[in-house]
Amino acid sequence: MRAPSASGRAVAGLEGVTVRFGSRTVLHEVDLSVGAGEFVALAGPNGSGKTTLLRVLLGFIRPSAGRATLFGTPVDELPITERARRVAWVPQEEANRDNPTVREYVGYGRYPYRGRFQAESAVDRERVEESLSDLGLGDRGDDGVQTLSGGERQRAVLGRALAQDTPLILLDEPTSHLDIGHQLDILERVRTLSRRRGTTVIAALHDLNLAARFADRVVILSRGRKYDDGDPARVLSEGLLARVWGVTADLRRDPRTGVPYLLPHQRVVEGPAILAGPGFGPVHVVGGGGAGAPVLRALSDDGYRVTTGALHLLDTDAETAEVLGIPMVVEVPFAPLGAEVRSAHRRLLEQARVIVVAPFAVGPSNIANLDDLEPFVPQTPTYLLAPTPIDQRDFAGGAGARAWEALRSAGAREVDGLPALQAELRSLEARWRSAVPAAAPALPS
Amino acid sequence: MSAAADAVDAASPHSRPPHPGRWRSALAITLLGVALVLLSPLVGSVPIPPTEVFRIILHQLSGGAVYAQPCAGVTDSAPLCSAYVEIVWDERLPVLLLALLAGAALGISGATLQGVFRNPLADPYLLGLSSGGALGAAFVYVFRIGEAEASLVLPVLAFAGSLGAGVAILLAARGRSGSVETLLLTGVALASFLSATLTIVLLYNPTGSLQVSFWLLGGVGGATWNRDGVAFGGILIASTLLVLHGRELNVMQLGNDVAQSIGVPTARLRQRLILLASLVTAMAVAFTGVVGFVGLVAPHIVRRTVSSDYRVVLPLSAMTGGLFLLAANDLAVTVLPGTQLPVGIFTSFAGAPFFLTLLYRRRQASTMGDS
Repeated sequence: MRAPSASGRAVAGLEGVTVRFGSRTVLHEVDLSVGAGEFVALAGPNGSGKTTLLRVLLGFIRPSAGRATLFGTPVDELPITERARRVAWVPQEEANRDNPTVREYVGYGRYPYRGRFQAESAVDRERVEESLSDLGLGDRGDDGVQTLSGGERQRAVLGRALAQDTPLILLDEPTSHLDIGHQLDILERVRTLSRRRGTTVIAALHDLNLAARFADRVVILSRGRKYDDGDPARVLSEGLLARVWGVTADLRRDPRTGVPYLLPHQRVVEGPAILAGPGFGPVHVVGGGGAGAPVLRALSDDGYRVTTGALHLLDTDAETAEVLGIPMVVEVPFAPLGAEVRSAHRRLLEQARVIVVAPFAVGPSNIANLDDLEPFVPQTPTYLLAPTPIDQRDFAGGAGARAWEALRSAGAREVDGLPALQAELRSLEARWRSAVPAAAPALPS
Repeated sequence: MSAAADAVDAASPHSRPPHPGRWRSALAITLLGVALVLLSPLVGSVPIPPTEVFRIILHQLSGGAVYAQPCAGVTDSAPLCSAYVEIVWDERLPVLLLALLAGAALGISGATLQGVFRNPLADPYLLGLSSGGALGAAFVYVFRIGEAEASLVLPVLAFAGSLGAGVAILLAARGRSGSVETLLLTGVALASFLSATLTIVLLYNPTGSLQVSFWLLGGVGGATWNRDGVAFGGILIASTLLVLHGRELNVMQLGNDVAQSIGVPTARLRQRLILLASLVTAMAVAFTGVVGFVGLVAPHIVRRTVSSDYRVVLPLSAMTGGLFLLAANDLAVTVLPGTQLPVGIFTSFAGAPFFLTLLYRRRQASTMGDS
């Protein structure tokens, strides 16, 4: 096994790599440094530049600006045979219509080691057999590749890349045509082999959960820019999915492995990403006693980042927020809101771009919520959901109605139901979007 | 694993050899070829007894040492015997050899082009290589350029036209993205353009058009030992170089990107292979005119009956192409006694039904063209 040429030097490196196809910029000043033995997953929506990045490293695309290196040498300065001895490639799907035997096919990977008049060497044969047995294809060596199933065929492709005996393997969506069992099988094998052989792996994977499960490091690409780069446990978040993919999701953790995973909601938000503009903060919902739950669900389904408070533990709204993964501030059941809880709530209110007040019953234990949000009304658009008049749900002896009135006079607007609220939010967002020209998504703060 | 499971395993299709009977097929083609080569000298408009034919051949091959009296045993007079010698040795054998050579050239050229373009329809005709040759030949007859030495000038111009077409494709596609599709479509466009040019030339110059038309149908009738020598040299060199690229062609079937990632310089190889294929095609066109179908069919026969491995496909396509053209020529000579029909008619007339039978009966070594 060849060792990476020098320790400390990046196996693969990109420095300010920009790729333009005509007027379209596909990669935008991307920096990346991958060290020996790392398993890096490249994730991002379709068209985010994952494949282009891999093709730059393979030397198929010359960057319009910036530099791509393999083991410290610029990719385009490596002779093609030398490059093939350093980096192997597994594409999404290979369109081979011929029918070599699996052994012959895997043997294609030995091409860069054999001269034109050289017969197959003992090392060649050894590498091929090793690849076959590593991939569980030992007994299929004499079968034609056309007789293989989809999972076996992709294993054969991987075997061909392994036979190439390179310190770096690039995979472009290697499992996207496979069922879940075979996806896990392929990635498991890649990880095991990379650990055993010390091979560095860079894999484009559009499935974030697979990326988090198998990779040591996740690099998120969004519209040609590097959006985030790091430990999967840190990188994966609901906000990531909403901002980069435009999909809302719950973040969970695999109880056995502690690996985070995202559970996308059924509904997919239209447009690239809701609230993707720089500085867009969350929508804060003030609720209580179950009045907030439908609002939380609706806004969260619409793709907004939502926060809520100040609620009481075990309250329906609190349970809903818990399930939806909505950040909130809670007090112990039935107690009036304490000073600490109130100041935490004020911090949430401060971050909110929009405040929504659910039609909750106002009582002594939660009237502080209305008082606390009043100072924020002048600078934050505030909507009061009022399907029923406030005096019908004021159980604080008139204090509730007075506080409500104070909010109205501070500039809060009453809307009579959820659909009206959603329409308001959409038009608000449209106005903000047109004011802030479309830019790259901001990094999560 | 239990014995029962073993038995099931052994019976499963997976335990079959990969290409059942591939070597049997190769052997069959070879034996058929030997028989054909032995029988072909017997075929001709003048009936000569088989024993006499072989005696003449042995006599000539041994430099006159064997059968010092070539006409011994023949009741006819000696002058007639020397006419036999001329027919067998200076006509039939050169024709036989030229058919083998030209067929081999077209077969290997077709196999190369199908491999380079990853397209089962690619052949020297589709790409305009032969149209270029035809246009070159038309110049001789129509504009009466060097008509006096037509036997020399015609092959040279046909060769130049054919090779020129190949070079034109490469030049047109050079510096562009150079994708396989661009190259192929460039060739198709060029072929169309060249045929149109030829039609115009013939339309306005009816004098030579009959000769050109006849030439366009192809034939190995004009073979001489000298021509065979030239064809042999050129075709052998170019074919040998082509056969050395079997491994690269195998890898190129995985697609441009994968091939490059394995270390195959695809763009450069494509140019080299197209150039060599043009060269062998030009050799064939120069001496036989336009013979259709051989370049298309020979590689498919090999793929379907033997293997899709280009290390096998290239040499066997040459062999199959040669035998195919020889068989067609034998038919051309025998179908209407006393007349030699253009061999190009028979390659298609007899070859197409044969090929269709193969196409629908056997699904084996390769699926190229099925998916």
